[in-house]
Amino acid sequence: MGFTLKNHRLLRIGLAVAIVGMLSPPGAYGQTAEDLQRDLKAMKAELQQLQEKMKKQEELIERLSKQKAVPAQPAVSAAPTPAAAGPPAAEQEQLERRVTEDILRKIQPSLTAANKTFPAQFNPAIGLILDTVGSYKENERGNFEFRAAELGLSANIDPFARGYAIITGSSSGFDVEEAAIVTTSLPYNLTVKGGRFFAEFGRLSKFHDHDLPFVNRPVALDRFVGGESQADGVEVSWLSPLSQYLTVTLGAYNKLGADNQRVDNTVPRDFSKFTYLVRPATFFSLTDSNSIDLGASYAYTPKVDTFTQDGVEQLRNGKLRELAGVDLTYRYTPLSQAQYRGLIWGTEALYNREDPNVGDDTTPVFRRRDAFSMYSYVEARLTRRYYPGFLFDFAQDPNRIQGETKAYSPYFTIWLSEFQRLRLQYTYNDEPQNHENQFFVQWTAVLGSHVHGFRDR
Amino acid sequence: MKRIVASLLFLSFCCLGGTTAEAKINVVATIPDLAEFARRIGGDLVDVSSLATGVEDVHAVPMKPSFAVLLNRADMVVLLGLEAEHAFLPALLEAARNPKILRDGIGYIDCSKYVNVLEVPTRIDRALGDQHPMGNPHYNLDPVSMKEAARAMADGFTQNYPEDESTFKKNLDALEADLDTNITRWEREAAPLKGKKLVSYHPDMVYFADRFGLEPAGTIEIRAGIDPTPGHIEDLIDRMRREKVDIVVRERHYPAGLAETIAQRTGAKLVELPAMVGGVPQAKDYVGLIDYNLHALLKAVQGGA
Repeated sequence: MGFTLKNHRLLRIGLAVAIVGMLSPPGAYGQTAEDLQRDLKAMKAELQQLQEKMKKQEELIERLSKQKAVPAQPAVSAAPTPAAAGPPAAEQEQLERRVTEDILRKIQPSLTAANKTFPAQFNPAIGLILDTVGSYKENERGNFEFRAAELGLSANIDPFARGYAIITGSSSGFDVEEAAIVTTSLPYNLTVKGGRFFAEFGRLSKFHDHDLPFVNRPVALDRFVGGESQADGVEVSWLSPLSQYLTVTLGAYNKLGADNQRVDNTVPRDFSKFTYLVRPATFFSLTDSNSIDLGASYAYTPKVDTFTQDGVEQLRNGKLRELAGVDLTYRYTPLSQAQYRGLIWGTEALYNREDPNVGDDTTPVFRRRDAFSMYSYVEARLTRRYYPGFLFDFAQDPNRIQGETKAYSPYFTIWLSEFQRLRLQYTYNDEPQNHENQFFVQWTAVLGSHVHGFRDR
Repeated sequence: MKRIVASLLFLSFCCLGGTTAEAKINVVATIPDLAEFARRIGGDLVDVSSLATGVEDVHAVPMKPSFAVLLNRADMVVLLGLEAEHAFLPALLEAARNPKILRDGIGYIDCSKYVNVLEVPTRIDRALGDQHPMGNPHYNLDPVSMKEAARAMADGFTQNYPEDESTFKKNLDALEADLDTNITRWEREAAPLKGKKLVSYHPDMVYFADRFGLEPAGTIEIRAGIDPTPGHIEDLIDRMRREKVDIVVRERHYPAGLAETIAQRTGAKLVELPAMVGGVPQAKDYVGLIDYNLHALLKAVQGGA
């Protein structure tokens, strides 16, 4: 054993000398050949000195090892006491420490020089998502839609918060989809998020378009939430200290929903005109492989008032709007086959109550309207690549002027890799004045940094 | 209403104020191998739970919200590191709201610290697959690397609880001695495996092969994390025949059919192995895991002789 240890030590010393030789920083630019030769001579001399020193140390180590190999205290006791091996062991330890320190002192400048720093190293992680869709609809005909190039940036801000931004370029221009600061070290299991972000309403409202399990956002969400649940505001979220997973999120926003036209996002307003949210969410592990996520969301706007947009007055009667939702997600994930087997069933139901103008701009007529929408989808994981699924979508008209819309969408997702995906979808759209067959091909790719986010699960 | 609020507050304080003098140190390990080491090093001082049960692919452990609750209460989290847990741990840590165990926090114990890492990429490019930029993270199948992991874990424990350093040191010494004894035995037993070539589904077996003298000869995946294409399988079969590959390893969390077909077409022996403690009932602990894997490979090699 002693022989092996000694060999390792010699190997380490030899390596260190080699590193010193190889990594010694070159002279400054502009040195003459003579300067370099002088430096080289000096280095050779230094190396020779070091070699001699190491040779002496090796001899000493060998001597000490031999001393240690000879039984120092025979027949004193059956088990050797630490005191028996005391002086040589201590000396050897001291010698080892001295050799290590000596080597470290020699190589440290080279290691420091090799560990270069540069100004860009504090840049955030960057990822780019490309999402493009080819479609054919019976009434609208064919289209290649460059849906989005989403640039994602994220980094810790300091020990107390992190930040992220999603900047989207699409055929309609550039937009900041999200740009938020999130605390990371508040006490009492609290997290505060501020800026522009996707509010905690329901489940799929928080997904970016390219992250949805199907090509298009369900009509149920588009009409009631207004596309993604984008909101400018602040959210406080609390994780209960109970052993049962339970989070409660409270939010206050200018408005809820990227395409929600009921409220103006850009002007200051009274507290009564903000939208307030509460959402409890929990999780039940039925077995190792079966689980249920359950959540409820309630968004309340005390006053939806008239505002002017692009010089046109948008008439409202100043009454409240309530939007409530329940979401349930069942997952079957066999633990040993999670990469290539599984099933997910997701359902959300929404209820909207407001006073829309069911008249026209000259003779407005405001009526209390209650409306309901829901979607439900099931998706199987057959292999690591192939994910077939089916989406059913139902939405009443929030104004209750037109009839109901239903859509049936079988789809098939092919994951070429974790970073590239193809999706085929057929939709039979059953909408008042628009009954049509629709066909889609979606091609999505991720470049650069990617994260597996908790909210996208 | 007041009663409800008061009850909720009381309940919260009961839960928050749960740390008493005799409370154990709460450790969460990402995989059972590390959980076992944490139990052995921490002894009676720790209460350990594992996120994975052992049958999973370490790159695809389901991100269950209940794990966030475990992590919320953890004093320390111990992990393989080298991005092995990339698919679930960063998001869970974010959801757990426990600053102590966030990356670079004092309770975040990356056990790869002293491991001699293999397959460190010289070029980072997605064309080369789902790369681990810091190198192959599957070192848990190499007992010598796991000794290094144990050392890193004990260091982490000591940094968090310096008052218990002597206990951790004593327990680490015992664990290392136990591993040393077994390593000597395993190296002796593994002699017939020396020079045998193996193909595995994913590069899980690299450290194991390196330790026991086997020669990795490719993977069923095109690149790490990229499922094979028919063209790749044909190329692999041709190469395996040419190079006379002895063994096809199917890590038990990968599909069976393809590995069986490849073994049948090349004449190589198919061996199905767990990648973590708990991956098969016989791998009850770490020694059991290495015993199982080694004996399964020996049986395949010697049975075919």
